[in-house]
Amino acid sequence: MTQSILSHERAYGAHPTVQVLTDRCAGCQECVIRCPTGALSMETLRWVASADDDLCVGCRQCERTCPFSAIVVEGPMLVEPRIEPEPVHPARLLGDISEIRSGFAGWPEALAEAERCLQCPDPTCVRGCPAHNDIPGFIASVRARDLEGAHEILRRTSTLPDVCSRVCNQAAQCEGACSWSLAGGVAVSIGRLERFIVDNLEVAPPTRSSEANGLSVAIIGSGPAGAGAAWDLFEAGAMVTVYEKDATPGGLCVWGIPDFTLREELATRPWRQLSRAGLDLRCGTEIGPDDIDGLLFTHDAVIVANGAGVPLRLPVPGADLDGVVDATTFLQGARAALEFGGDQQGFRSSLGLASDDDSRTPNVLVLGAGNTAMDVARTARRLGMNATCIDWLDERFALARPDELEEARHEGVEVCFSRTLTALRGEGRVARAELARTTQDRADRRPKVLSENPEGREVDLVVMAMGYRLDPAFTDVLPGTPVRKESHGVADRRWTASGILANHNAVGQLALGREVGLWAATLPVSDRLWVVGDALTGPATVVEAMAQGRRAAAAVLDARPARPSRQDREQWSGPRRVLVCYESVGGKTARAAEAIADGYSAQGVVARVLPIARVGAAELAATDMVVVGSWVEGFVVAGVGPAKGMRAWLADLPRLGGKPVGIFCTYGVSPKDTLGEMRRSFQERGAVVVAQAAFGPKELDAKAGVFGPRAFGEELALQIMTNEATYVPVE
Amino acid sequence: MTYEVEDRESRLTDPVAVAIRLRPQQREGIGERFDASDPHQGLDIARNPLIARILHNRKFQFLLILPNQIIFWTVIFVGLMGTAVPGLNFGAAITWYVWFCLVFVMMVVVGRAWCAMCPFGGFAEWIQRRSFFQRTQKTLGLGRKFPEPLARMGFVLPVGSFLLLTWIEEYFNIAGPGNPASTSFMVIGIVATALVFFLVFERRTFCRYICPLTSVIGTIGSMGSVAGFRTRDRDKCVSCQTKDCMRGGDEGFGCPWYTWPASSDSNLYCGLCTECYKSCPEENIGLFLQKPLTSVVAPKRRRADVAWAVALLFGLVLYQQLNALSFYNSFDGWLNTHLHFPHYPNPVAYLGMILLLSVVIAGAAKGIGVLSARRDIEFDRPGNFIDKDSRFRAYFLPIAYGLIPVVGADYFARQLPKFFKSAPRVIPAVQHMFGFAGVNSPLYNARILSDPRIIVVQVCVIALGTLGALWAMLRITNRELVPVSRNALLVRTTTLGLVSVCGAVTAVLYVAMQAAN
Repeated sequence: MTQSILSHERAYGAHPTVQVLTDRCAGCQECVIRCPTGALSMETLRWVASADDDLCVGCRQCERTCPFSAIVVEGPMLVEPRIEPEPVHPARLLGDISEIRSGFAGWPEALAEAERCLQCPDPTCVRGCPAHNDIPGFIASVRARDLEGAHEILRRTSTLPDVCSRVCNQAAQCEGACSWSLAGGVAVSIGRLERFIVDNLEVAPPTRSSEANGLSVAIIGSGPAGAGAAWDLFEAGAMVTVYEKDATPGGLCVWGIPDFTLREELATRPWRQLSRAGLDLRCGTEIGPDDIDGLLFTHDAVIVANGAGVPLRLPVPGADLDGVVDATTFLQGARAALEFGGDQQGFRSSLGLASDDDSRTPNVLVLGAGNTAMDVARTARRLGMNATCIDWLDERFALARPDELEEARHEGVEVCFSRTLTALRGEGRVARAELARTTQDRADRRPKVLSENPEGREVDLVVMAMGYRLDPAFTDVLPGTPVRKESHGVADRRWTASGILANHNAVGQLALGREVGLWAATLPVSDRLWVVGDALTGPATVVEAMAQGRRAAAAVLDARPARPSRQDREQWSGPRRVLVCYESVGGKTARAAEAIADGYSAQGVVARVLPIARVGAAELAATDMVVVGSWVEGFVVAGVGPAKGMRAWLADLPRLGGKPVGIFCTYGVSPKDTLGEMRRSFQERGAVVVAQAAFGPKELDAKAGVFGPRAFGEELALQIMTNEATYVPVE
Repeated sequence: MTYEVEDRESRLTDPVAVAIRLRPQQREGIGERFDASDPHQGLDIARNPLIARILHNRKFQFLLILPNQIIFWTVIFVGLMGTAVPGLNFGAAITWYVWFCLVFVMMVVVGRAWCAMCPFGGFAEWIQRRSFFQRTQKTLGLGRKFPEPLARMGFVLPVGSFLLLTWIEEYFNIAGPGNPASTSFMVIGIVATALVFFLVFERRTFCRYICPLTSVIGTIGSMGSVAGFRTRDRDKCVSCQTKDCMRGGDEGFGCPWYTWPASSDSNLYCGLCTECYKSCPEENIGLFLQKPLTSVVAPKRRRADVAWAVALLFGLVLYQQLNALSFYNSFDGWLNTHLHFPHYPNPVAYLGMILLLSVVIAGAAKGIGVLSARRDIEFDRPGNFIDKDSRFRAYFLPIAYGLIPVVGADYFARQLPKFFKSAPRVIPAVQHMFGFAGVNSPLYNARILSDPRIIVVQVCVIALGTLGALWAMLRITNRELVPVSRNALLVRTTTLGLVSVCGAVTAVLYVAMQAAN
């Protein structure tokens, strides 16, 4: 690192300067503990931060983390230029499906790029990565030429490093959240470093735990979400059965991503390894929504990971003409056609395109300019067609990877942004597309369609590649899906503190939204039923689906669910974990929560007590019973109900499929319908409210000898110990 | 059936946490830095469940602001629409006969109590937060940072705005006996300026850097017995990874005043808004009381901007005393003739005298430094206005802090005549709004105290302030000046002598003002 800085300084002369605004610096040390180079320390007498300009590299992490904007960095960023291997474009595109993107040529390039990493103490790239790979950790291993160590670090958070390093949109994830990138510079090439690791040392096969844990889990779908869940469950010793409707496992990674981006051998690698190790993979087995109950009867848990495979169609006049197909049809057919010995002519004919002897090159109009659309267009080019992508978004807000867009254009794909299709015309078969211009001023605003300057295009084939949606047949039986990846309320302050959300950074906001999906994956949508990946949150990325699958696997292993027919059900579940959480203002509700926990302890059950501000999906997922209490807000009779903080918390609750919940409140005059309001919130989220109690001043008096919080805790403890199979809901 | 008591370890851990390798916090020296200024844990009134409940309630500050909001909008409307007779106009009467005096009482006892209930900042903050009291996520406005060069001036900037406002008040003779319409325009001006600043800059930039009263309340308020919101356990705050009190949490906004309760060593910048108390998820913040003058004596970090603010504010109040003497009218008239300025007060005389008087105070401190400072100590450290150190600053800064009680007493004493003579007029002024009472009302002509007695009270106030200043200056001198001085007796004598002289001069000036009347 030092060498890198010095060489830059020699080359450019300038050096960054740090100004601490000592009038406002509160000495909280948020910048000091996060400075990658140790350029900041504390000045003891005045208790303000002090900067050593000589050590500063200009990454501006301090600026982003200071809560009071009391630090300013000016000057250049001292970092070497990024090592950027050029894509390998085939000399003759037609029929060539060789991989376009290349990794580093060797160790010198990889080491030079690894040296660019600042090894940030609070790495924003880790938060930007949907799987939360320990990026500084594996880069440090690369620096130490320790590929095994790097694999070990990657293995903690990812089962698909070879896939993710090739298909991830790093610019919007880890690299977009790199400190250099957040400071306006060029990010470390994290994706290529990850690829370097897996290119030079293959991902090791799963190591199954020596002790089979007896857990039987069914996974529906073998896409990235299924792979993430299956791998971890299998390694933990569970009996995993994977049901895949296609003949080849891999789901979208196989049929949705062309070989020139991700070779099939890599997409199917985890399944080959898992099958060889003994996982029960049942390809060609379609599971419908009606089959889920049957699976729940025969398995302890079911994980639905069947993706979002229904292609979106644009409802424009002429959409039902011949020659209008969806991306799935096109990509699946093209894959077979482009394989060694595939029938390209037959595929073209199946699309109704003219034969080879027609000298005219067919024009394919691809609707959309996201990654799927790029795949379609680039595949079309390899099949000898002219391809044009249109997207109604402004190019500034394009959804495709920037490098993919560049590659597509290099391969001759015409990409037109700010255009939308208004109609398709033709006699039986599509022959002309009518387009309108659009305008969009912000990423979160819908583009406006303009009536001026409409244009027409002669087309031979239209491929609708705007994306996919969930199968409504499944969403109907999977309560709470799809989950909206929107973060409500104040952002997690640990995220704010890291600096990833500074300056309204879009990458940070996206990452924060993804957390909602990741944690939602840990909670069952109903009793013993988990949903992950695109099936849970709608179409997303490979890495996100894989990460959700792993979270669900951890949740299943943590919850140890048991099917009703299981013989060892009681022993299997083991000691129960109870979480008592509360919203308190004067301390009464907090004391009641403590007393309830005492009641549990008296019956031999351990209960954890936390304020609701510290209870999120992780805490809820890691407990077998939840007891929730609130003080009663309102004036005697007006506005009486759960405290506002409790209401907000309840509004943001994720699904709590089948989880037993006890509720209580503390009041001064009357609780009115406080418990009813709380109960309904839990019931709407699939929880089973098993007991409720309102404690007035009399009940809160420990000496009064009436039914108080402690007795309530004891009653709940008895329920969890003796009645867990058949909790009786409170009405 | 029984269950084992042991807890099952959860597999659901946040993978981000594994990758975080924060540098260790520096704790060395933190104890000594804050030992003297940390309030006693027993003086945390937020331990009382009822007070805790009130402070947690988001409507608390709203309910503090609301009555003042009503009063000051009434001031604006009545000032413009009501009678021109100042004593009968509610706007002028409440503002100049009661409010100003009450604010001084509040600041001397509580510190920034007024800031917690201020309708000017409060109104602008409601708009900035788009809420009267709820914790909102998105604010209205540009949320800019206050420009650094200006922020570095600290309290000097608001002293400037206070001097400007005072000059305008003197020029238009708004306060005494009171000009209702001008009072309204002045209040509108303050509200409008506050609103603009709240919409352009983040948090309470206006209150910290611009508000004309902030320097007065900040400096004189440091005599107060409320330490403000402080940490209960500093270790916990230092280790805290989220700093909700600064960034804002689920229940409260981040500190609008840019104060961290764990490093607050005085009540200088605690606006008592309760946001840090509400947002701390660990309940690690308390509302502490302290002995009077603790925030004058105890802080180890002396701020140059505060010291200059004290000197300038002292200069201003001395100027106001001097301009009540008979010689000043002829001096002002002479200056106006030569400078072709048509009106009292002449800005050159106004600013010139204030600067001169504050430079005299600073000069006295410099003189003490020259006489006493040890030769073997290197005082000089380069830096900007707020950061640099020198021998002059090593003496001037602590001495200026030590003078705060005299300055506070002087300001308070200056308000007393108006209060004693005219405060009862507020009642007929209220009645007048509803069509009752007039100049013949007994209360209109009633006085709480008359002139000779007022002088006695004023001198007593000054004497009390001087005694407080002597005590504070002795403590400050012993702790901060004796170690850097050659002769302890000399430095004690000179600093305490300076306090005595300042006290005596202000007291004598009150007597002289009475004689001039």
